[in-house]
Amino acid sequence: MENVKEYIESGILELYVLGDISATEKAQVEEMAAKYPEISAEIIEIERSIEFYAEEHAVEPSENLRAKVLNSLLVNLGDDNTFLKAKTHQDDDNVRSLSAARVTSFYKYSFAACLTLLLISIYGLVNLYSKLQESNTQLSALQTDKVRIANQVSLRDNELQVYRDTAFKVLKLKGTAKAPAAAMVLAWNSISKKVMVAVASVKLPQHDEKHQYQLWALVNGKPVDMGVFDQPKADTVGVKEMKAIASAQGFAVTLEPNGGSINPSMDQMVVIGTF
Amino acid sequence: MSSKRKISLSEEELVLALRNREKIAVEALYDMYSASLFGVISRIITDEAIAEDVLQETFVKIWHSFSGYSAEKGRLFTWMVNIARNLAIDKVRSKDFKNQSKNHELENNVTFIDEQRNTVYKPELLGIRELVSTLKPEQKSILDLVYFKGYTHVEAAEELGVPLGTIKTRLRMGILQLRKHFNE
Repeated sequence: MENVKEYIESGILELYVLGDISATEKAQVEEMAAKYPEISAEIIEIERSIEFYAEEHAVEPSENLRAKVLNSLLVNLGDDNTFLKAKTHQDDDNVRSLSAARVTSFYKYSFAACLTLLLISIYGLVNLYSKLQESNTQLSALQTDKVRIANQVSLRDNELQVYRDTAFKVLKLKGTAKAPAAAMVLAWNSISKKVMVAVASVKLPQHDEKHQYQLWALVNGKPVDMGVFDQPKADTVGVKEMKAIASAQGFAVTLEPNGGSINPSMDQMVVIGTF
Repeated sequence: MSSKRKISLSEEELVLALRNREKIAVEALYDMYSASLFGVISRIITDEAIAEDVLQETFVKIWHSFSGYSAEKGRLFTWMVNIARNLAIDKVRSKDFKNQSKNHELENNVTFIDEQRNTVYKPELLGIRELVSTLKPEQKSILDLVYFKGYTHVEAAEELGVPLGTIKTRLRMGILQLRKHFNE
């Protein structure tokens, strides 16, 4: 009992009520209060007197504040209680729930429709794009073809020009004993002195990389260099212009080292022809 | 003021109604305690508009955190006045409050408000006021510092230049004095 009295007189209960003590002290006071009714009675007395002190200093807030505060609290109350009731009521309302459902499903379906259209469009675009690519490839192939054919035509045209021109004398060179299958056609213009080899007609044995064919003109029994040429690749058309010569009785072709020789290697003669 | 119908319940009834979230509890709470709480807040915040804002915040907080109150730990008003005091002190210490109002010297402030509010005291409490004024000035200043200003008794001792033990004694004596009057 002495202890309790001392505890009360220490002034800690006043500080407790004023909220001016640490959490540990607070727990201690509450423990004591639970144990000793005198202490809890004392606490209530202190609280009462402090409460009266506050009342003594009471100040009425302005009249309109009451409505303001009550409104802000009752809005919350509405959130807590009234709203639940309102919700149940809404469930009974057929028209509302139906229209709400309709709106949702409308948006749901229109969304699905949009999505489907989008997918179809993407598929179509991809298809179209690959077709376009294909067409482009075909087109460029055709263009290459066309250029090649046009070239060929113009070359053939040149070739024909040679044959049509009466000034040209066409000479067929025939294979020698060394290459009986060999043959070649050339044309010599006695006026312009041009010598043209019809590339498509050249049928000479294949030569290695170190050798070339050399054309010779036979002038008064002597060979005159007319220039070198390679065995033409397959499918080549047109004419190849050689060196010019004023007069010749015949032409012959020999196989010579690259660049040609000053005098023909007679044993390497593959074709020959005279007018 | 007295012409208006005010709702008053016993503390037990009020606590029960608040716990059940009844509408009448909100009105009773306001009618019973707004003036006392506003008195405390006004002591801390001189600006009437800001003080009323804090009072509103106080009621909102009381309403929302009411589950945190238990009758075993003390009277309802003690719990509420702590909320009001803390909100008001937080407001005073907040940056924008400091920017918009000059802080008066503490003790001047208390008397300043006393002068300012003299005319609004409830007439029915005038008798009590006379009794309370029999508090010795040194008891009153300590009680005001701790109760209204949120000072700890240690800070109050520093502010008044008085030893801690003396502070505690004066506080206790002051409150005993109050009890004596209110129990008469």
